[in-house]
Amino acid sequence: MIIAYMNDIVKRYGSFRALDHVNLEVEKGEILGLLGPNGAGKTTLIHALAGLIKVDSGDISLFGKKLNDHIMEIKQQIGLVTQDITIFDDLTARENLEFFGGIYGLRGAELKQRVDETLAFVRLTDRAKNLPAKFSGGMKRRLNIACALVHRPKLLIMDEPTVGIDLQSRNYILESVRELQKQGTTILYTTHYMEEVQSLASKIVIMDQGHVIAKGTLEELVENIQHEEKIHLEVIDEPTSETLEELRSLNGVKQVIHNKKKIQIISSGGAENVDNVLAVVKKAGGVRSVTAEKPTLEDVFLTLTGKTLRDGEEE
Amino acid sequence: MTIFLFTIRRCFRNIMNIILLCVLPFIVILMPNEEWTLLPLGFQLYGVVLFFAAARITSIIMEDRTKGVLMRIGVAPVTHLQYLWQNLLAYSLILIVQIVVVIAGGILYGHDLINPFLLLVVYVLFALTAIGFSLAWFSLFRHKETAFVVLMSSIMLMTMAGGMIWSVELMPELLQRLAMLFPTYWLAESLIIVATQADPTELAVPFVVLLLFTAAFLVIGSKRRLS
Repeated sequence: MIIAYMNDIVKRYGSFRALDHVNLEVEKGEILGLLGPNGAGKTTLIHALAGLIKVDSGDISLFGKKLNDHIMEIKQQIGLVTQDITIFDDLTARENLEFFGGIYGLRGAELKQRVDETLAFVRLTDRAKNLPAKFSGGMKRRLNIACALVHRPKLLIMDEPTVGIDLQSRNYILESVRELQKQGTTILYTTHYMEEVQSLASKIVIMDQGHVIAKGTLEELVENIQHEEKIHLEVIDEPTSETLEELRSLNGVKQVIHNKKKIQIISSGGAENVDNVLAVVKKAGGVRSVTAEKPTLEDVFLTLTGKTLRDGEEE
Repeated sequence: MTIFLFTIRRCFRNIMNIILLCVLPFIVILMPNEEWTLLPLGFQLYGVVLFFAAARITSIIMEDRTKGVLMRIGVAPVTHLQYLWQNLLAYSLILIVQIVVVIAGGILYGHDLINPFLLLVVYVLFALTAIGFSLAWFSLFRHKETAFVVLMSSIMLMTMAGGMIWSVELMPELLQRLAMLFPTYWLAESLIIVATQADPTELAVPFVVLLLFTAAFLVIGSKRRLS
């Protein structure tokens, strides 16, 4: 079941197209990983989906209703974890949650119960009466997440929720995201950390320059790119020039590099040369070890955008 | 009314705000009567305290905007108008309570306030103008610290140029005309009318001007949206 749907969305800032005919679907109960270099349009997309900005053209529907026609009803079911820590420094952790629960219409015993549950979920119960100024970076991040969870949204949008925190807090947040998914929350997760998307997301969308350039599961994305295959071999006897020549003549082989008993063979994508390579080197004295490098999400991203994700630099 | 209730709470979570809202009013009450002022000295200068207090508490909106909390509130089912009016209502209520305490305290202390009710109305109107002015001011800046430092200096200039510290008649003709552009001038005018027991209908012009200032400032200040 589709719970969020963006159809042919265009958003311009002057002559710059932040979103250029973007189509996106989020299915109920999934974690959708949204990847893209800086300036790709991820934040604009999130803001459009959360009803914070109006788009120039296209349709946005959430929970089966058009955003423009049912904005308040839809907002009631969305939570946004902002990239920056957006909590009140002059309110305690409990008061922060009471405020955000209150503006989503929670009152009295229900509000208290939700606040208690959310504090427990982010493990801040014992710090409930403290001001965030006394919190570590990780605790502030957890409170930042809690503020988006207190009203139990059906769709949780997380904009780089693990930026600048220690490993322990990061792992805790990732674990919480999985737990939320188990509880039935649909999550749209943007991050610069490729490994987070690989470990969390059931579907991945890659954006660049305002376009959605690829989407699918990790396996689908890897399959779709014509990425080079790399085979690393350690052979028993140092290869002769004839063996190396035979390896070079194999179908799809682009390059053969050798250093004494170590050989690296680079083939074009889809050549699937492991068996052929092994046959050649076995004839020439045998193999001590073999590893075939599979393309990673990083390779997919690099192939599609020509940029690394972490800093958006051109490769 | 969540925003309203939490805004009131947040106004008292800062030591400077507590001084301006809870300590300075008592100093205003305890200041002596001076022969050279029409009203007790503290009441003559109370407008300055109100202006500073309004600036301090209204800065909460700017803090919310610069910290991104306003954007987060924008994701909730709350309109920009709801956020704004609940904040402004909280600021207004706090200052109105302070004005009531100051006037009641002044009477109990034994000051001759001439017409306490009219004085209350004058201060309330000026407090609303000061809130509007601060809101408009903060909407023009990106950084709270810069906005605040420049605002403090501007308030001091306006109080001096507007005739709250000395009479505008002591200033050159051109400055006297320019002074009319400041809300502080119309506060000073209103205080003179109340203190000299002139016909209360003479307050109509200063009151209308203060209300127009308030409306204009609120329109400018509300331009910055939640997102």
